[in-house]
Amino acid sequence: MPRGAPLLTRWYDGTSPRAHAVFVRLDGDTLVIEPREPGLAPQLYPLRGVRWPERRTHGQRQTELPDGGLLQHADAREWDAWWANQSIGESFVVGWQQSWRGVLVALLTTVAVLGLTWVWGVPWASARIAQHVPPALEARIGRESMEQLERVFFQPSALPAAQQQALQARWQAMVQRAHAAGEAPPHTLAFRASPRLGPNALALPGGQIVVTDELVRLLHDQPDVLMGVLGHELGHVQHRDGMDMLVRSTFISALVGVVFGDMGGFVAAVPAALLTQSYSRDAERRADQRAAELLHANGVPPAVMATLFERLRARHQAGEDEALPIAIASHPADAERVRFFREWAANPSR
Amino acid sequence: MTPIEAATVPGPAPVAPQQDTPPRVQTLPIRFTGSGSEYFRIWIVNLLLTLVTFSLYWPFARARRIAYFQNNTLVGDDPLGFHGDPWKMFRGYIVVMVLAIAYGALSETVPAVAAVLLLLFALVWPALWRASLQFRLRNTSWRGVRMAFVGDLKGAYGALLPFFVPALVLVLFLPDVASDEKPSPEASRRVLWVLGAVAVYTLAVLPWCFARLKRYQHGSYLFAGERTELRAGNGRFYGLLARVIGLLLLVVALVIGVVALIAYSGGPGARMLGFFAAIGVMYLLMPLIVVPYATVALQNLVWANTRTRHTRFRSELRFGTLFRLTLVNWLLIVCTLGLYWPFAQVRTARARLECMALQVKGDVDSWMARAQVRQGGVLGDAAGDFFGIDVGL
Repeated sequence: MPRGAPLLTRWYDGTSPRAHAVFVRLDGDTLVIEPREPGLAPQLYPLRGVRWPERRTHGQRQTELPDGGLLQHADAREWDAWWANQSIGESFVVGWQQSWRGVLVALLTTVAVLGLTWVWGVPWASARIAQHVPPALEARIGRESMEQLERVFFQPSALPAAQQQALQARWQAMVQRAHAAGEAPPHTLAFRASPRLGPNALALPGGQIVVTDELVRLLHDQPDVLMGVLGHELGHVQHRDGMDMLVRSTFISALVGVVFGDMGGFVAAVPAALLTQSYSRDAERRADQRAAELLHANGVPPAVMATLFERLRARHQAGEDEALPIAIASHPADAERVRFFREWAANPSR
Repeated sequence: MTPIEAATVPGPAPVAPQQDTPPRVQTLPIRFTGSGSEYFRIWIVNLLLTLVTFSLYWPFARARRIAYFQNNTLVGDDPLGFHGDPWKMFRGYIVVMVLAIAYGALSETVPAVAAVLLLLFALVWPALWRASLQFRLRNTSWRGVRMAFVGDLKGAYGALLPFFVPALVLVLFLPDVASDEKPSPEASRRVLWVLGAVAVYTLAVLPWCFARLKRYQHGSYLFAGERTELRAGNGRFYGLLARVIGLLLLVVALVIGVVALIAYSGGPGARMLGFFAAIGVMYLLMPLIVVPYATVALQNLVWANTRTRHTRFRSELRFGTLFRLTLVNWLLIVCTLGLYWPFAQVRTARARLECMALQVKGDVDSWMARAQVRQGGVLGDAAGDFFGIDVGL
C-alpha cells in the first residue's frame, strides 16, 4: 500500500454519536476524509493538527481531528499496516514500549537507577540537604521533637542534682580532651526519667542529647561506659544524623511513591520502613566509631562498652521488656557491636 | 433540551426506525481489552522516564496510562477515548509542585503562614476537585462525542464542605491540652465532649454527606444531551456504612480473640508478641477484606443506580471476585518484588469494568451533543491527581 492509498474506516463528527463510513487518505500535507454516504462533503485537515493514535498490541485506533471529530478503526492490524506506509514519524517512546528488548533494557536501567539512587543518591542528597539546613530551623525541629517526646515518653529526672552535675562535668572534661582543638559540635545534655523507654539515650536534631535515668542507674558503677554512650550520641549530633534521617525518610517515601504509585498502604509502607532501617544501621556504626575515639582519647579502652550490651541483655532475659524496644530496634546485632568495641584498639583506622 | 448544531452535519437526517413500536432496549456490555503484559511495558518505560527526569515526565506517563485504560474500555463495541493534552497536564503539574514545595518549606519555617495557606487550600479545594472532574470528562469521549461534567460550583462546595466540619471542630474547640503537664479535669471533659461530638457527627451525618457528594458527582455527567442522575436515597448509604462497620468490628473481634488466646497460653514475652501480631494481622486484614468489601458495595450502589433519560447502568461486582483477586495480586506482587503491579492493575480494572453494562432505550445514533463546554482548568486536574482524587472508574 503506497502513501496516499485510501483506507475504509469510521468517522465521527464530534457532535453526533453516529458513525459514518469514510475513506481516508493522505494528500501531501492534508488528511482527506471522503464519506461514502452521498451528500456528505469531503473533509480536509492539515496533517499538523491531527493527533495520531499510538501503536499498541491491543485496542482500537482512534485519531483525533482538529475540529473535535474522530476516526476510529476497529482492526488495529489493518490500521497499523496502512499507517506504516504513510511515513509519519512516531514518538520513540511508542517504539520502545512495543519492543520487549527495549523493555528489558528499561527494566534493567530502572533497577540500576534505583540502586544507584539508593547507594549514592539518597545518602549524598540527604547529607547535603542536612548540612545546609539552617541551624535555627534544625533547632526548631529538635525542640518540637523534644516537646513530643516530653509528652509521650519523658518525665522529669529523679536523679539527685549532685549526680547530674557530676556527670555533666565528667562529660565536658572528656569532650574537651577528645576535641583538643575545640571542634566539638555544639550540643546540650539533659536527663529525663522514662519508664517506657527504659535504659536509653537519644540525639535529636539541633544537638540535644537526652539520657534516661534508667540508663544512668544501669551503668551507675561504670561511668566510662555511660560516657561511651554519650560519645555515640555525640557522633549522631556531629553527623547531623537526626536531620539526615528526616530528609532521608522523606526521600524514600517519595521514591517508593513514584515506583508504586497508588498502591498505597501496606505494600508501600513496608519497603519504606525497611529501607530507612538499613540506612540507620550505617549511621549507628559511624556513631560507634566516634564513641570509641572519644573513649580512646581519654585513655579508656573502648572494650569497656561490652558491659553495656551484657547488662542490656541481662535485663532483656529477666523479662523487663520496655513497651517499645526502641533501644535495640535499629542497632546492628549486639554481638557485632561488642566485637567492634573489643577489637577497636587493634584496628583504630576503621 | 440541547441545541442541535445541525450546520455541522450536512446530509440526510438520521433515520428514526421507531414509529409506533416502543423503543427497543438493548444492553451494551462493558469490556476491557487491556493486557497485563502490554501495560507492563508501558509502565516500566514510564517509570524509568519519570525517575530519570526527577518526576517531570510524570504527567506524560499519566496521560499515557489513562489513555491506555480508556482506549481499552469498550462500551458496546466502541472504546472510550482520552484526549488530555500532556503538555497542559505538565503545566498544571509544575504549578501544583511549586505550590506544594512552597507550602512544605513554609510550614517548616513560618508555621503561622502555613496554617493560613492550609485554610486557603481547604477553601479552594472543592473548586479544584470540580475542575479536575471537568478536565477528565471533557477529555473523555465515546463514539467521537466528548463528555462533560456540568455540576456547578455551588454544588461542589455544598457537597464537600460538610466533610471539613469535623476537622474544623477539632481545631477550634479542642483545648490545647498537649502543652499542659497535667490536663485539668475540666479540659479532659471538654476533650471527651468534642471527640464524642465528632464521632457522633461522623456516624450520623457523614453517610448523608457522602450520599450528597455522590449524587452531585453522578448527577453531573453529561453525554450528548443525556445527563446522569443518581437514584439512591440516603438510607442506602447509611446501610452501607453500617455493613462496613459491622464487618470491621467482626474482623477486630476475631483478631482480638486470637490474640487473647496466644497471650494467655504463652509466657510473659508472648503478650508483646501477641500485640505486634495483632497489629500485623489488622494491617493485612483491613485492605484484604474490609476495603474490597466497601469497594464492591460502593461501586454497585453508585453505578447500578446511575441513569439518564435513555440509559441506565448495571453493576454486579461480587465480593468473592474482588477478594480473591486482591489476595492473588498481593501474593504475586510480593513474590515478584513489585513487578506484578501493572498486571494487578489490569486485572483489577477488568474485574471492576466487566461486571458492568449499559442499558440503552432506543437508538444512540440519534442523540446530539451539546455545544462544546469551554476549555481551561488544567490546574484542577493536576491538583486533583496530586492529592489522589480521581473520578474512580
